[in-house]
Amino acid sequence: MYDNEFFVVDMASCSSTGEIINSLSLALETLNHSGKRIVLKLNDSALNQSQMLSIQSLVTSYGCILDTIESINPQTLAVAENMNIAVQKPIEKRVENTSEFSDKRADFEQFTMNTASNQSDAIALKDVDGLHFQADLDAIKTRQDNINISSDLRNAGINPKEDFSEIEKQIISQYQIPDSGVETYEPFKSVDKTVDMAQESSSVGIEDIEDYTNAEKNSIGVYKKAYDENDITADDWEEVDFYETPTTDPVVSDTKSTTYINQTLRSGQILESDGNVVIIGDCHPGSEIRAIGDITVWGVLSGIAHAGYKGNKNAKVRALKMNAVQLRIANCYSRRPDSTNIPYIIRSSIFTPEEARIVDNEIMLFKINQN
Amino acid sequence: MAGSVIVITSGKGGVGKTTTSANIGTALAHMGNKVVLIDTDIGLRNLDLLLGLENRIVYTIVDVVEERCKLKQALVKDKKNPNLCLLAAAQTRDKSAVDADQLKDICEQLKKDFDYVLVDCPAGIEQGFQNAVAGANEAIVVTTPEMSAIRDADRIIGLLESKEGVEKYRLLVNRVRPKLIKSNDMMGVDDVVEILSCDLIGVIPEDTNIITSTNKGEPVVNDEKSLAGQAYLNVARRIMGEDVPLLDIDEPTTLIDKIKKFFIKKVQG
Repeated sequence: MYDNEFFVVDMASCSSTGEIINSLSLALETLNHSGKRIVLKLNDSALNQSQMLSIQSLVTSYGCILDTIESINPQTLAVAENMNIAVQKPIEKRVENTSEFSDKRADFEQFTMNTASNQSDAIALKDVDGLHFQADLDAIKTRQDNINISSDLRNAGINPKEDFSEIEKQIISQYQIPDSGVETYEPFKSVDKTVDMAQESSSVGIEDIEDYTNAEKNSIGVYKKAYDENDITADDWEEVDFYETPTTDPVVSDTKSTTYINQTLRSGQILESDGNVVIIGDCHPGSEIRAIGDITVWGVLSGIAHAGYKGNKNAKVRALKMNAVQLRIANCYSRRPDSTNIPYIIRSSIFTPEEARIVDNEIMLFKINQN
Repeated sequence: MAGSVIVITSGKGGVGKTTTSANIGTALAHMGNKVVLIDTDIGLRNLDLLLGLENRIVYTIVDVVEERCKLKQALVKDKKNPNLCLLAAAQTRDKSAVDADQLKDICEQLKKDFDYVLVDCPAGIEQGFQNAVAGANEAIVVTTPEMSAIRDADRIIGLLESKEGVEKYRLLVNRVRPKLIKSNDMMGVDDVVEILSCDLIGVIPEDTNIITSTNKGEPVVNDEKSLAGQAYLNVARRIMGEDVPLLDIDEPTTLIDKIKKFFIKKVQG
């Protein structure tokens, strides 16, 4: 039995655990339902105890409780039962139809059926990213002015099956991001958040803007090298002792996650992340990377990099070749020296990996492994 | 004192709007005017590159419009000339981020503090053009002596005539090659003016210095040897209301040519 506290997440389209966790975190983050009891619908993938534990901890971290697992796989069900999670087998099969239209209709019919029998408060929605969200009807019900689907429709003499397209439109419109710019950054599907400035206004809070204004506009200092450039030779590589035992405990980052990007960032593209960012590729002039944690570029960094943009002054920017137009760490801004202010990338046979960090409120470049 | 807002437009792309904006702006600032350049080519900005100010941009016109910063914060001062400011376009958005009224507002505000507000217009006649033209009371139509550029310039002049507020528009013929005109392989400046029946504000010769100056991020007017730089300086003087004769662009450049000309003059004189 379901009631309004339940939130059904349909993960039947996800096959691997990674995919499930990814989609689940996205769904929970997008819809923000802390305190809800989660009903997780899985396909026949077999999950072991550790995988189930990680899913449970993820759900808990968003303030929700993993209540029920729905699966047809016996191993998954057994593991879930061991962990005192209620299990159930799928009750009904979705009507398989080729066209998307009839697919949605099937969803809607299922939904109306459910509401009629008061069994479930869930509807299936197709998200722009192709993820299946099961959004609870609770949120929709509260919007009395817009739609009141279940009983009022019948009272008004509307046959829900006839007029479903309108209702469906309204439901979908709630979950669609209103900006058309979404399609323009398709390449970064795996990214936490890739923003085309359109969304930036909402993602950057007012406090952050205050931070921006603290940086004096025309007096941005130049970032300097903390070492003599002439010292660098190709032999530097050999000096690096990769098997050196660390003298101090490794610093564990308190940020959420690390995003890996395996492609070149081009002009006009913004990459924004809640954690650290690692880019295997170049960052061209005009591109921008913003991360709450560190930024590492395995290539030439020529765009703007803003590490720790929510105020973490310990954040660092690393690149194989540092040619960044601007380096920003927390509310510290610095620009490229004018002497190297050349609009095209200089490719050098010798890459000198550098790390930028704040020293006395100034951004300095260090050779990697230099103290 | 209210300054004038001049939009630099062309219709066709690649005829030298941005180069013209950067150079006229720098030239006007050199002559002691307070100048602000506005880049309205949102998403494909270039003006900052030509001025070498790319690394100084923190806020853009979109930040101003969306009230993330004050207008004065977004103005980037030139490296050399404190009289010259740039209001850069955002690279990560598109033309629809700003609308005509907002740009008009910005122009009105800047007019109070600056003698000249130069608006660099994007190619095309869509939103970007409509935005750029909104606040302008003068226009410079850039064209090259090619049929396609002239056709587009004609269309632009038509649109400017129907726009309220644009009181004056003048023609700037760019990338002129005297040699080709002499050999009748290129349309002459007179022909262009005749086709478009429009006042001429200047003629800029084709100059290889433009390419190097673009790559260096330094406008060509700073280079005294450059012919195009001189031509741009003259255009700036004409904007200020001075009566400057057209530059003799087929001036002989080699020493032998100069000696020849000297003797011819003597014989004639």
